[in-house]
Amino acid sequence: MSPAGNHRWAALPWLLIAPSLIMAIGVIGYPFYEIIRLAVSDVSRFGQIRGFNGWDNFARVASDPIFVDALVRTLVWTITVVGGTILLSIPVALVLREDFWGRGLARTIIMLPWSIALSMAAIVWLWAFNADYGMINATLRQWGILAAPLQWMARPETAFPVEVGIGIIVSIPFTVTILLGGLSSIPGDLYEAARIDGARPWQSFLYMTLPMLGPFLNIAIVLNIIHVFNSFSIIWVMTQGGPDNRTHILVTYLYELSFYLGRPGPAAVVSLVVLAIVFSATAAYMWLRERDA
Amino acid sequence: MRYGLKWLAGACTALALALPAQAETVRMTVSYYSAATGPYFEKMAADFHAANPSIDVKIEVVNWANLLQKLQTDISGGTNADLSIIGTRWLLDFVKDGIAEPLDPMMAPGFKERFIGPFLKPGQIGGKTYGLPVAASARAMFYNKAMLTKAGFPDGPKTWDDVVAAAEKIKADGGNGYGLMAKGTEVDVYFYYALWTHGGDVLDANQKAIFNSPAGVKALALYKSMLDRGLTEPAPTNYTRDELQNLFKQGRLGMMISGPFLMNQITKEAPTLDYGIIPVPVATRPATYAVTDSIVMFANSKVKPAAMKWLDFLFTPGPRIAFTKGEGFLPTTTEEAKDPAFTENARLKVFVSLLPNAQFAPTVTGWEDTAKAVTDAVQSVYLGTATPEAALNAAAAKANQSLGK
Repeated sequence: MSPAGNHRWAALPWLLIAPSLIMAIGVIGYPFYEIIRLAVSDVSRFGQIRGFNGWDNFARVASDPIFVDALVRTLVWTITVVGGTILLSIPVALVLREDFWGRGLARTIIMLPWSIALSMAAIVWLWAFNADYGMINATLRQWGILAAPLQWMARPETAFPVEVGIGIIVSIPFTVTILLGGLSSIPGDLYEAARIDGARPWQSFLYMTLPMLGPFLNIAIVLNIIHVFNSFSIIWVMTQGGPDNRTHILVTYLYELSFYLGRPGPAAVVSLVVLAIVFSATAAYMWLRERDA
Repeated sequence: MRYGLKWLAGACTALALALPAQAETVRMTVSYYSAATGPYFEKMAADFHAANPSIDVKIEVVNWANLLQKLQTDISGGTNADLSIIGTRWLLDFVKDGIAEPLDPMMAPGFKERFIGPFLKPGQIGGKTYGLPVAASARAMFYNKAMLTKAGFPDGPKTWDDVVAAAEKIKADGGNGYGLMAKGTEVDVYFYYALWTHGGDVLDANQKAIFNSPAGVKALALYKSMLDRGLTEPAPTNYTRDELQNLFKQGRLGMMISGPFLMNQITKEAPTLDYGIIPVPVATRPATYAVTDSIVMFANSKVKPAAMKWLDFLFTPGPRIAFTKGEGFLPTTTEEAKDPAFTENARLKVFVSLLPNAQFAPTVTGWEDTAKAVTDAVQSVYLGTATPEAALNAAAAKANQSLGK
């Protein structure tokens, strides 16, 4: 094709992606515009805008100690759930990579929790942790570990770790899937060569598996951060952020603000904060991918 | 040609005549009170349609916990039904935004007079009627007769001192004395029972928080001391009202405060349980909480006359008696109150007798914020992170930020 022809068709790619571009801008832009509009307005419970009020909503949220607590707890929640998920998923993935009888079944069992809706899983766990007739207390008492039933959900000191634990369990299937994909990309003869050279299993894990799994771990960590950061169902179903607001993370606090206290304005401010944090995590993800590519 | 025109004119006339007979659809959102709620409204809608073939009523049942959120979303999107049941304490928000329609101009003569005055009043704002009381309840103390007889109070406790004394005996026998709830909705109200009966009030005449008065501190300190001495079930922050009621139905709880709907549940789920109902225990004055839910009509409804006709039908004695009996509420209209189902029910009479001293949730903006602040305060006291005085003072300051604004 001649250079002139190239020039002539330069606009064509833009033209071809224009419909999806316009749609993407609409789908992302409209809610974003609405949230900003709500954040700077005095809004009634039913979404009627009563007037512009500048930074009032921001000031109100920033001065709310529950918001600051929830922000800190969101970070704790994200770090512990994602950290725990990764730490548990690596050995699970390593085991599932091995060729053993019934591996297909084991892989299916590990993936099964994925098919259950998060809120449904949370309800089932809530029953399991019920103090009077839950299966956890019954089992622990049968084993003689507990003398009296433990009121798991009554105190934040026990309720929040329980929620973190459930967060980890439900995140494992997705993470194991990513890691299995990564593991299968490491050629088997590498391990054979290492073994012949006298590497012990822990050495080949530390110096071969882990570095080669690096990019996959990065992806698993960042995607999990984004997902866990916004994870609403577990905490809302089990404790609604209570008792005394001490299991709130940002999304549960936002929901309570908007739908229980009827203040969409400050709730919009909180969702902007959530957006900013998730956006940073996404940017980090893009940067990591760029670097690893 | 002439024939054709005539035929056309005839067809038009027929169509015009047929139009009013075409079905209008009235949509109504109702809250889930029990398994009987949906079938009741479906049956009423069918009965109403039989008598008024031109009006179709469509019922949508929504869980109480999600109702306000659903209405909020529907209204913001303009897809709300024509009628809805709401908590009467939410009404002010609806009226302020012009979402609720005043019903007085549409009412048939004598319609308003069907209602029991104090139950209709919370649905009236600025002299206009926006909400019709569909469900009403008051609260009283339920006690397990076997446990309390053994504890020396066969007729139940009269005062808070009696409650403590009885709970001590029940504890010595290894049981749970007085049930405290500190999870879910109405944690604030459970504290108000003690507050009111100690002579305190939630708000003053200027709608500012005064639940942190000495009476309030005394009331919360009483609950906290009962918890610390093991006179309640362990860990109230783990118990919603439903969960307390379950303990009571299983015969594992001596005393708790609840509404008439618990009687229906006991009849169905624990028919052998021997229990009594008495007024809320007193320290300095008798008091209880009364609450109504109301039906509102939305201002953007396109079928207001038809919707009003359906409301008129719902508030005739037949449908009312079926509803109130089925759900275990108190009658809201004078005619239904005369039915033997209510006049000859000794237990229900206790609730009715408490109404003169009943406190209703006030119509004020920021009531939900107050409920939330008080709930947090109660929970922090039970968790041992704050003293009753400090927690209530902080809650009052928080509530005052939103009250009346």
